[in-house]
Amino acid sequence: MTRDRDVAQLVRDRYKGFVSSGTPEWRLEIDVGPVGGRRAHDDVRVSRDGVDARYTVNRADFAGTVDLSARRASVTLTDANEYSLDSFLRILYSLALVAAHGVIAHAASLVRNGRAHLFCGPSGSGKTTVARLSPDATLLSDELSIVRTADEHARCHGTPFWGELARAGEDRVATLGGIYFLHHGTRHALETVTPRQALERLLPNVLFFARDTDLTARVLDIAADLVEAVPCFDLSFRLDPGFWEVIDRA
Amino acid sequence: MPERYLARNSRTAWRVYDGEAVILLAEDSTLNTLNAVGTLIWEGADGKTPVSSLVGRICAEFDVEPAQAERDVTAFVDRLSQRGLLNVSALPHEGP
Repeated sequence: MTRDRDVAQLVRDRYKGFVSSGTPEWRLEIDVGPVGGRRAHDDVRVSRDGVDARYTVNRADFAGTVDLSARRASVTLTDANEYSLDSFLRILYSLALVAAHGVIAHAASLVRNGRAHLFCGPSGSGKTTVARLSPDATLLSDELSIVRTADEHARCHGTPFWGELARAGEDRVATLGGIYFLHHGTRHALETVTPRQALERLLPNVLFFARDTDLTARVLDIAADLVEAVPCFDLSFRLDPGFWEVIDRA
Repeated sequence: MPERYLARNSRTAWRVYDGEAVILLAEDSTLNTLNAVGTLIWEGADGKTPVSSLVGRICAEFDVEPAQAERDVTAFVDRLSQRGLLNVSALPHEGP
């Protein structure tokens, strides 16, 4: 919720595919105004503010708090711009998901034949390329994907966060069928990786800002549950949709 | 060589898969993975077990000569200390 008309319009426009009329699980208050500190623009500080499960989140262009127990967050933006709000929301997701046994990761996710597939890798690894080469699949995101685990199963959620595709995914959820760590190659090839190898590849791609021992341990637990619940592969691919054939055969 | 004792940084989270540890450091979320020998040292770094005892276990379990094991352990401990993962002390940790 916000009292600022520009922010209200920004939220309606930027997150229109993800605005729901249902009862919210979280309450987020957004204001516009000055924020203290002279932090560099990309220097994010997330720290526990002394109260259990309550965190302060600061960057040059915003200052906020996140209370995981109360499921409430608030943020003041220096001005109503999409970049600042999007950045705060990514951090909010990274914290809130830990409490919901989930993570948000640098990964494209696509639903095909009713199952989600997670394509994981840093910038330049091919996340957007995979999305572009999959016109028949439903896009959940070409940049940041949400995965939650429960009862030895994992589910993947669409997010409004995009990469080079500059298009939001769909607000839907699907059972996760596989995790693929992307490598550019001259042919399509899939190689199974062990849970330890998968964890090693996944963790650097998990969005996580809090320098907090308890949260770090929980992120490790969630990531470990994820790679044990879902088959994980190294995927070498070239620039055509043929990688789906090797995935379908796996 | 004087006895030394190793203690894991309490601000780490870690898991062992097939005898190999995956370690996350809370300060900066850096990821470290250890081989089987490194994992033996890591698991033994309880602040109370002397390094000489860990060297003995490595010799027994991995068929390494004591002098070589000692050199390997020293290099490994230096590396992990520099990364902020291990604390080294001349006295055993007191308490539980």
